Amino acid sequence: MKTTNYILVLMVALFASCNDQLEIEPQDNVADYQALTTSADVEALLVGAYDALGDGDVYGGNIQRDAELIGDDGEIFWDGTFQAPGEIWVKNMLVTNDQAELTWLDGYRTINICNTVLANIDLVTTDKKDRVEGEAKFIRGVVYFELARTYGKTWVDGNPTQNLAVPLVLEPTDQSNVSENVSRNTVSEVYAQVISDIESAKTLLPEVNGFFATTYSASAILSRVYLMQNNYAKALELAHSVIASGEFSLTGSIADAFGKGSTGSTSRISNGNATSEDIFAMQVTSQDGVNNLNTFFASADFAGRGDILIEQAHLDFYEPGDERADLFYDIWTAKFNNQFGNITIVRLAEMYLTRAECNARLISSIGDTPVNDINVIRNRAGLADVGSVTVNSILDERRLELAFEGHLIHDLKRTQRSVGILPYSDNSLVFPIPQRETIINSSLTQNSGYGSN
Amino acid sequence: MKKLLLMCFSLIIVLQLWAQERVVSGKVTSAEDGSSLPGVNVVLVGTAGGTVTDVEGNYKLSVPAPGGVLRFSFIGLVSQEIQIGSSTNIDVGMAQDVQQLSEVVVVGYGTQIKQDLTGNIAQIKGSELRSIPVASFDQAIQGKAAGVFVEAGTGKLGQGIKVRIRGSSSVSAANQPLYVIDGMPITSSSQSSAEGATNPLVDINPNDIESIEILKDASASAIYGSRAANGVVLITTKRGKSGKTNFEIGYFAGFSSETGRREFLNTAEYVQLFTESNGGMTQSLTNRFNRYGAAPPGPAAASWATPGAPGYVDTNWQDQVFRDDAGINQLDISASGGNEKTKFFISGSNSNQRGIIIGNDLDRINGRINLDHQASDKFNLGINFSIARTFNKRLAEDNNFNTPIQIIALSPMTPVIDPRTDLISGALDLNTGVPNSNYPIYYNPFLDNAYAEQTTLVFRNLGSVYGEYKFTEGLTFRSDFGYDLLTQNEERYFGKETSRNSGAPNGQGNNAWTQVFNYTTNNFLRYQKNIQDHGLEAVGGITYQESNRKYSNVGAQQFPSNAYQKITSAADITSGTSNESAFSFLSYFARANYKFKDKYLLSLSGRVDGSSRFGADNRYGFFPAASAGWIVSEESFMSNVKVMDFLKLRASYGLTGNAEIGNFAALGLYTGGSGYAGIPGQSASQLENPDLRWEQTAQLDVGIDFGLFESRITGQLDYYAKKTNDLLLNVNLPGNSGFRTQTRNVGELENKGFEIVINTENFVGDFKWNTSFNFARNRNKILDLQGQIIQGSFISRAQEGEPIGIFFSPKYAGVDPANGDALYVLVKSDGTQTTTNDYNEATQMKVGDPNPDFIAGLTNTFKYKGVDFSFLFQGVFGNQVYNGGGIFMSANGDFFDNQTKDQLRRWQKPGDITDVPQARLFGGNGVGESSRYITDGSYIRLRTITLGYSLPASVLSKAKLTKLRVYVSGQNLLTFTDYEGWDPEVNSDTYEGNNVNQGIDFYSAPQAKTVTFGINIGF
Repeated sequence: MKTTNYILVLMVALFASCNDQLEIEPQDNVADYQALTTSADVEALLVGAYDALGDGDVYGGNIQRDAELIGDDGEIFWDGTFQAPGEIWVKNMLVTNDQAELTWLDGYRTINICNTVLANIDLVTTDKKDRVEGEAKFIRGVVYFELARTYGKTWVDGNPTQNLAVPLVLEPTDQSNVSENVSRNTVSEVYAQVISDIESAKTLLPEVNGFFATTYSASAILSRVYLMQNNYAKALELAHSVIASGEFSLTGSIADAFGKGSTGSTSRISNGNATSEDIFAMQVTSQDGVNNLNTFFASADFAGRGDILIEQAHLDFYEPGDERADLFYDIWTAKFNNQFGNITIVRLAEMYLTRAECNARLISSIGDTPVNDINVIRNRAGLADVGSVTVNSILDERRLELAFEGHLIHDLKRTQRSVGILPYSDNSLVFPIPQRETIINSSLTQNSGYGSN
Repeated sequence: MKKLLLMCFSLIIVLQLWAQERVVSGKVTSAEDGSSLPGVNVVLVGTAGGTVTDVEGNYKLSVPAPGGVLRFSFIGLVSQEIQIGSSTNIDVGMAQDVQQLSEVVVVGYGTQIKQDLTGNIAQIKGSELRSIPVASFDQAIQGKAAGVFVEAGTGKLGQGIKVRIRGSSSVSAANQPLYVIDGMPITSSSQSSAEGATNPLVDINPNDIESIEILKDASASAIYGSRAANGVVLITTKRGKSGKTNFEIGYFAGFSSETGRREFLNTAEYVQLFTESNGGMTQSLTNRFNRYGAAPPGPAAASWATPGAPGYVDTNWQDQVFRDDAGINQLDISASGGNEKTKFFISGSNSNQRGIIIGNDLDRINGRINLDHQASDKFNLGINFSIARTFNKRLAEDNNFNTPIQIIALSPMTPVIDPRTDLISGALDLNTGVPNSNYPIYYNPFLDNAYAEQTTLVFRNLGSVYGEYKFTEGLTFRSDFGYDLLTQNEERYFGKETSRNSGAPNGQGNNAWTQVFNYTTNNFLRYQKNIQDHGLEAVGGITYQESNRKYSNVGAQQFPSNAYQKITSAADITSGTSNESAFSFLSYFARANYKFKDKYLLSLSGRVDGSSRFGADNRYGFFPAASAGWIVSEESFMSNVKVMDFLKLRASYGLTGNAEIGNFAALGLYTGGSGYAGIPGQSASQLENPDLRWEQTAQLDVGIDFGLFESRITGQLDYYAKKTNDLLLNVNLPGNSGFRTQTRNVGELENKGFEIVINTENFVGDFKWNTSFNFARNRNKILDLQGQIIQGSFISRAQEGEPIGIFFSPKYAGVDPANGDALYVLVKSDGTQTTTNDYNEATQMKVGDPNPDFIAGLTNTFKYKGVDFSFLFQGVFGNQVYNGGGIFMSANGDFFDNQTKDQLRRWQKPGDITDVPQARLFGGNGVGESSRYITDGSYIRLRTITLGYSLPASVLSKAKLTKLRVYVSGQNLLTFTDYEGWDPEVNSDTYEGNNVNQGIDFYSAPQAKTVTFGINIGF
């Protein structure tokens, strides 16, 4: 029996010593429970939120591209082989449209990162806490704003307290809640969250913050949000506050806004560098980030696919002498011809246009008269002053100044103008809820015009 | 879990010793060759006392003081009864009785007598693998074991080999078996960082292998638990025997060529077909042919238009990529021997293979020492140590312009050497000073042969030490420590001449290092006891394995010239990475075999596997198996059945798992790769799944083993049903979670089939003729994927209700005789069938199945005096192959890729009845992925054929030799198939990584056909 005892002892010892050998830590990644323990960890996660926001399917270009494709009425031509953007351009999206799926997936991925930052905000040191919280709320608000106007009816279409937008998820995902079947919130609920987030960000964020979001980034985007609600007074107030801050100035010429050097020929513009007029821009470098506006709008000479061709119908809108008409080469726009160039999300010119439009609508002159604001924009484009403006002439100016920057469908919808033969409220101008999502989550109702599931 | 451990312990506690009077010991050896005989029953006649000889053939038995009679018995050997008298030491030499059923088989953590097996184990002797001119031993077992499907996807040397034991049991996880060498699970998955999978089994010297045991059913394999669902391959290396030192030298050399070719158009046919597909000769077509023909640009047609004219070129591009000096030579030397205490086996090997494709070589150097030492009556110890250096010159993956076989796409009027530069076509454009960008039609892969190199150098060291302590008769404790150290350096260089393909104007280089350190410890007890009619064998213990892989890679561009190929000379370092991964398994295993009256057999086994890969809530899995056997022929009522001298019925059932789920798939993870504009950032990359676990396979096996006519005919019949549940699938998560998918255990599939093995001794005596036949049929069916369709490449997919990897696409319906349009089947909503010429409108349907209906092997061996002759036919039947390159190479002149010769059958005028549509340049006529490119992949192959002559002993003894044999051998000399491509044994290396992709040909290299001449000398 002695032998048996020895063996027993030996085996028990082996059992005891081996158990923790099954705990092998990954080296290339970090276990989630170890990833967020310090202030620096949360700050790094916040950087991850910018990285996610800059994804090609979010502000890396596709959201802006799709706003131009779906709002187009014969000014551009989709010549690409990708099926999804083609469906968007012809306003005949299938529920399986993979861009509809990717915008949803990558939008919520960005939101989940922000939710995680906010849930761990107490780890951040006091001196940075406001900024970190402000940036996370800014990014979350921006993405919800884009999702609301992509997947929901526009604010002024029917009753926003009844129209459905997207589900509001404000807590980080973990194993316990990942399979919850959330329902879509209403357009007004999502807008309320957007305004709450970005208003809060506006208060929390500093005036200067490198290329990250500042209080002015928040104000500028908020003015856009209010404008979508036709809340001209608030949009005006915020646009004016950005102009009046003096932090930003229009570049000397329109070409400079897109990085054209003083001696560069039009077809060799190198844009995408930071300018004095950028209020918020996604950063792209050769190592990181993607510029999908370049991918789809630029020709192969500029490392693009050259999928979006500019029609004469568009070029005809420019007056003689308009330097913005020079921002084209062959059949492409020259606005995005730097593969590694930044993507400007909001720039000062938009604030002038918003202020002018709101003042014109409200018959006021806060900051300056509408005609003066419009002449600032015209002069910068090499055009002479106009003597007077109307809301419509301001909208025309806005179209030319901000062409291909992702405003088209939204400006049409908020002003209730049609897209060709389609009224602004047409079902086909709203993205479908991706079929991938409706299959997994039975609580998600599909948009009108996309069948029953 | 706790219960199981108790079970383990109770097994051990049962072991008791009892009072003794005096001890008789001795050694049982084979009367033929003096080798030790383990497992021999030693019984004191008329009493309950008895024992079994140990691994060394030793026994020790307590007997009453007056002595008695000892009976030595062993199935297949002639039993002996010996009076003890006053002896204390009785050595016995036992003679062979019937050969077949007495063999010892290696099983998990031990050995067993073949007759006593209740599970299904296929055994292949090392001698059957010798001198087969293939890169690795797994390829050499093709056709030799029932239910073991071996496929070399391409003829590239050192590439991954697909082995499926009783079908595919997983959709997403690996389907390869677990390989265990001398008790140590080795690293067997590809370590290639580029250009297709490699096969780490290449580093093993086939001549070091004593035997291979393939554990097929749950009874045999469940002791390997969560990694046994795909079967287990046990490799046992050779060990020394006491006695005179035996030296063996083997050498063979031979030449190889490809098994088949595809026929392509010559220049005249090419010009004719494309002129027709273009709707006549036009200026732009003339310009194009002039360009392809390296003719000066100009309005006039150059020499390609006039066969026989000066400068007329008709290049057969396949001649450029198939070597005419391919072959192999291999030298093996070994010495083995020792004395009673210490035994050794030492071997060395050097093998050089020149592939049938240009630029493909495999050179291997191996060395091994296996030592066993008996330190005392109680204690044995030993080491195994082997080292290998494998140098592989590799080729690009099939789906690359620089893979050699893609050369067939080039136009036949293009000369091999561009007359304008006297360089390989494509190397230099005199107008630009850089490689041509539009000549030949595509990048010329021949440039890679001259200006690029991709090599993989592996140093592999397998080592182990063991100690074995004998507590009492029948009770031993064994402890092993073994490791497998794999160090690999991959170097790639692409010179500036290859820039059309590589994209790097001044050369591109890569240097990657991989190191895998994989070690295992085994600690286990073995117990063996025979009491009268009862025989018990038990084993139980603990094993721990850990494997760690480190990898780094640096890439660079801008080399001053091709003379500089190391990264140090590059002006631009373009990429760099390093990473590390690891896994561990901690396992408890036990097995008990009980035998009553040598005819009723029962076996229980189980393993508890814990792994770092499993989720926190499923850390341990339990894999039990039970089996029973009844040797009917031992029953008295069978004694009158003279014909049937052996009959055993057996059945087994058990659970096994598949743990190839990725090392950290269960964990919630963050990635540090979320930086923004140069500022470091992180984000969540994977959501935790604490429930994640192995795929689980329940397998039932029922079988019959039989021997007829004094075992002149023996055989084995088996039916099995394997059901795998908890399949690992990437399940879609709600997008609003911020995550896309999670690996979860859902889904089910099954494999059912039967196997037949029949061995016959047709002639015995001076002229011997033995036949061995095996046959297996497997039916794979996916039962549940939660409604998902898992799309593979081309038209392969996995879907519920069908076997894995079926082909699903429009069904090609031939050509409309009226207009030459390609037609596809259209199933209308009412179920009636019609055809359409609109590919998009055609009905998607199941159009093929790459899984064979059955596989078979037939070996015949003849011996007459010194002459031996054997051949093996191996066959795969009822499977289909999809030619993924078909839409380019057999596209009735849709684009300028050279076309297969069968495209000349194209429709030309109304009324033509053919299956090749009208040639229409850029016409898209019939070139969608469809059943048009599926062909039957069945084949029968003369896998090996060998004729040898051994000198008679009388001559040898004068020369002081023990053996001298010369032989000539052929590999793959004949292939019978209807397959239209290069070789029906195919699965492209670009796509094989996904289990759903099977039977895909994509410019894949055919197999080698080899004739070797060899000599074996022993002294």
